[in-house]
Order: sequence, then structure tokens, then C-alpha cells
Amino acid sequence: MARFPLEGPEQLFHFTQAATPPKPPRAHRGAEPGEKLLITGIAGGKGRLIARRVADFFQIAGVDRVPWQGAPHNVRLHVVDLRKRKFEDVFRTERPDALVHLAFVRHFRSDPEVRHEVNVLGTKKVLEYAIAQGVKRIVVVSSSYVYGALPDNPYYVDEDYPLNVSRTYHEVRDLAEVDQLVTAFLWRHPEVATTILRPVNTLGYYTHSTIGHYLKQRYVPTIMGFNPMVQFIHEEDVAEAVALALQTGAHGVFNVAGPGAVPLKVAIRETGGTAVSLPESFARTAIGQLFRLGLYPTPPGAINFLKYPCTIDGGRFARETGFSPLFSLEDTFASVRH
Amino acid sequence: MLEAVTSLPFAAAESLSTTAGGFLPDAIGQLRHEIDERMLRIPTRLNAYGYDPWGFHVDTTRRSTLVTSLLYRYWFRVETHGIDRLPPGRALLISNHAGQIALDAAMISLACFLEGEPPRIVRGMGEYWLPTVPWVNIIMVRTGSVVGTRKNCIDLLENEEAVIAFPEGIRGMNKLIWERYQLQEFGQGFMRLALETHTPIVPIAVVGSEEQAPGIANLRPLARLLRMPAFPVTLTWPWFGPLGMVPLPVKYHIYFGEPLQFEGNPSDEDEVIAEKVEQVKGRIATMLAEGLARRRSLFW
Repeated sequence: MARFPLEGPEQLFHFTQAATPPKPPRAHRGAEPGEKLLITGIAGGKGRLIARRVADFFQIAGVDRVPWQGAPHNVRLHVVDLRKRKFEDVFRTERPDALVHLAFVRHFRSDPEVRHEVNVLGTKKVLEYAIAQGVKRIVVVSSSYVYGALPDNPYYVDEDYPLNVSRTYHEVRDLAEVDQLVTAFLWRHPEVATTILRPVNTLGYYTHSTIGHYLKQRYVPTIMGFNPMVQFIHEEDVAEAVALALQTGAHGVFNVAGPGAVPLKVAIRETGGTAVSLPESFARTAIGQLFRLGLYPTPPGAINFLKYPCTIDGGRFARETGFSPLFSLEDTFASVRH
Repeated sequence: MLEAVTSLPFAAAESLSTTAGGFLPDAIGQLRHEIDERMLRIPTRLNAYGYDPWGFHVDTTRRSTLVTSLLYRYWFRVETHGIDRLPPGRALLISNHAGQIALDAAMISLACFLEGEPPRIVRGMGEYWLPTVPWVNIIMVRTGSVVGTRKNCIDLLENEEAVIAFPEGIRGMNKLIWERYQLQEFGQGFMRLALETHTPIVPIAVVGSEEQAPGIANLRPLARLLRMPAFPVTLTWPWFGPLGMVPLPVKYHIYFGEPLQFEGNPSDEDEVIAEKVEQVKGRIATMLAEGLARRRSLFW
């Protein structure tokens, strides 16, 4: 690639010298067996799966607002609200080496202020306590929604694509903020192996995802004349991705793609629902009204995800950790079939 | 709803093929058979549900191809020359563009599908507003096209697909009849993409398309008012209403040229890229001139 002539006026200039290649980022070592791992939001579906997946490797402590009945005996549980002062004590008593942060409010049943307080301020606190207690590795599970579903989206965007979700779906801008908060932390604290995972639509028995609830409806509303490609991943593969991130010490932002993409209506059919096409203007008004009355789980901004693609390229994570989803699309759909 | 809308022409074609079976040689049946057989041999990889990662769907394309193949065989009676020059693997097909409706794109794609060995699905690069149009967005994606972003184009080429682009763009599409076969200014994007992905460029000349809908004016203010990219006035449109959109049954000749391989820095200055673009444009101009000289008549 030497494109500079050997002789010529360019040689006089300092900037034509081939730049020294930037130093590779400091490699982080993976977790050692027996390290202490703290999982926030452990009682949720993903938290339980991740805890079970890494239980043999780490000493696990978990914190959640609600108790986890039937937790494995070797998991120490703290029932604390992340917004309370007592939360900091959990870090002091556990002194974890590793942290998996899952304590987010992703539904819209609670007040938007509570959402913001838990998601954005909560994440900020978690990161502060982690630094104060010398945590060596952090995994935060964000989601591919942060890129947003927009008409001119290219397919299979990589991690450098802007987080556009708030342009059309401002109710979830806190999730994009969380993602960027952690990204800033990742650059400010290179000594901590920080991994941000952005998995695609997660389906499974344990996970309560918005898309899961959407597909589990008997009659599933779709927008007339639109049928975008949608990617899916099985919840166990997300747990696997978190385990791999911890065990390899991958440092950076990573998309986590599943086994592939199908049109939305194929997913509805394969999970046993019946797609009902609604004209967009009607759907927006109806969903808006029903959402305000608390009768529909998502605000009308979510409609863009039923119209336009929001697909990601998971190549970087696969190269870095060797991740490859174990569950096929058929398996993934079967896990939520009704 | 979409099923109802899109399957109408297919259903019509299929019922025609069964009812006309008695006195017509079963042309549609044969054509369908041929399409099915060729669709099995396309190199595009599909998932368990018959989709490729960009939403291309075999069954939808099979049905739409049946309709457009009738145009290819019986309306435009397309003659394709030099299809064996289409290289296997990635290729960027660059052609002249005209005729108010992008039928030239459809006919080039069909040439690659019906005459190519192996049959190829040509991937189109759609305008940015197309994804917002109900149904159109689905048909566009299911038949193998995508929004024409840089990233989509690079991804498709790196997946060894054949991508078609018209560097004349809208300038060519809405040419007036006295400008026919005069290549308009070429955009440079295609060349930068070819350099970046080391893709051979296949120059294509389409003879016939430029007379299919003879434009006599383009009402730009009206187009702006209607938020359309152009408002063409042809010999038949808008005078005869929707019927005026039917193209003249001109004879199409599609000439595939030898692939051109360019090397260089994709982020070179415009002048450097323009030089390479001119080579492609010159090649197409020569092929057009040869094709026109060889043509006996507009209609056969």
C-alpha cells in the first residue's frame, strides 16, 4: 500500500511519512476461575440464565429488587433497590472482581422518571461503585434497538453506526443514553475490561422481552404494506455471549447477532400467531390511545420497528470471542411458540 | 392484503396458462417450468425459510419473474448478446438508463436470470424513499433489491452478488426523445465502490429502451409540487391516463461488454476517479453506437 513516490516534493513534508500504526489496545486477560461475580437484576429471566451458565466458574452474588425463589444455593442474593443507599453496601460487602449489569427497566408500565432513574442514573452509580471497589471486568447488556429502525438504514450495521433510536422512538432514549454512558466509561477506564453487548431481539422461555410479548399475542398487529427483515437470538445464546465476554475479557462494544433474519410476518407465523395488518394511521392512533390507557404495552414509536429494518452485523464479536449461536431460527421460534 | 395485491397478476397469468392451454401452445406453463428450474441453480444462499439476509425471497421472485418474463419474451422480444461475459462471483453491472420506467433494469436482470449460466439474481440499488412506500418496499426487497446505501452495496458485492447501477440516474431515466442514446453525466460512486471491493465492472448497452416511452417534456415544477423525482410527459402519458404508461413494444437488444477491472485508491480525488468513469462511459457509448448501427428497425 506504499502510495508515496520515493522522490518528489511530498518528501519534504513531514506528514507524508507513513504514520506509525496505532498501538494495539491493551489486551485484557479473561476471568480466572473462582473470581467473584456480581449480577445486578439477577432475578430477571436473563439474570437467572446467566447466573446458571457461569455458576461453576464464578462465585456469584446477585442483587435485585425482587427475590429469586429457588435460586441455586451457592448464589448469594441481596434484595435491594438500585436507587437506594443500601445498594452501595452490596458492593462493599461483596467486593466483586466482575460485574454483569442487567438491572434495566425495559417495559413502559412504570413512570418515565422511574425508568430514567433506574436506567441512566442507576448505571452511572453502578459504574462509580465498580471503580471504587476495583472491579476488573464489566459486561453491560444493551440491545440492538439503540440503532433505531429508520427507512434508510442499511442492513447489518456495525458497532460504529450512530444510535438513532430516539429520532423516532423517544420513549427509549434512556437505553441509548445508557449505552453511550458505558461507552464513555469504556474509554475513560481502559484498565477495566468493559464489554457492551447489543444483542438482537431475544426470545425464550425465561426472557420477558418486548418482542417476546409482542409475538406471544394471539393476533399480532402489523403495519399494512410493511414487512421488514428482523433478526432473532435465543436467550441461551445471549447468556453464552455474556459468559464468553467475561471469560475472554473482550473490551469494547459488540453487536451480538443470532442465527439469521426473517420477515416479521414469518416470525409471527412461526411462533404461532396470526398477523393482523392495520393501516398505519389507524395503528398509530389506536396504539397511542391504548398505550395511554395502559392497555397496550408499547408506545406508538415502536411502530417503526414493524416497518423498517434494524439489523446488525455480529462479525466483530464472533472474531473476538469465537461466539457462534447454538440455536437455529427454528429452535428460537419454537421457544416462544404458543 | 399484500398477498391479494401481488398475487393478482400472477393468478391471472396462471389461470390464463390453464384456460388457454387448449389452443395456445402452453407457453406460460413452459416458462414457469423454466423459471422454476433456473431458480434452483442460482448461487444466492438462502436460509431455512427461503430468504437471503437482505430479504430476497425465492417464491415471490419466481412469481414476479413469470410476469416480467412475458414482457421480456413477448413484448420487448429481448435479444441478449454476450451474456457469457458476465463473470462468476461479484460484478457491478453498469448500463445506460432511459425510458421513464426502470424496465431496462428489469430486462437486464432477466437476461442474467434467463440466459446466464449459472442463472443470476441481479441486485438493484433502490432510491432512499422507496422503503417508505407501502408494499413497494416489500416487493423491492423480496425480488432482490435493497436501499442503495454504500454499505448495502459493499456487503452484497463481498457476498459475491451481481449488483446493477445506473450512473446516469434520474438524469438518464427522464431523457427526452431527442436526447436518446446520449449518455448523461455519470455519477462517480460506482467506481469508488468497485475500487474498494475489487469488483469487475461489466459495461452494458441497452438498445431499444430509450424509445419505449418517448419523452417530450419533463415538468419539473409540477414534479416538485407532487414531490416526485420527475414528471415526464410522453407521447402517450398523461394523455391516455394509466394506459399511457404502457411502453411501446420496441425491440430490446442488450449487449454485455467485456468486464473492466480497475485498480486504485477508492478515495482518490474526483479527477482521478472521473478518468476511470470516462473509460466505462466511453465503452458503453461505443457499444451503443455499434448496437444502433446493427439495428434494422425500432420494432423488430
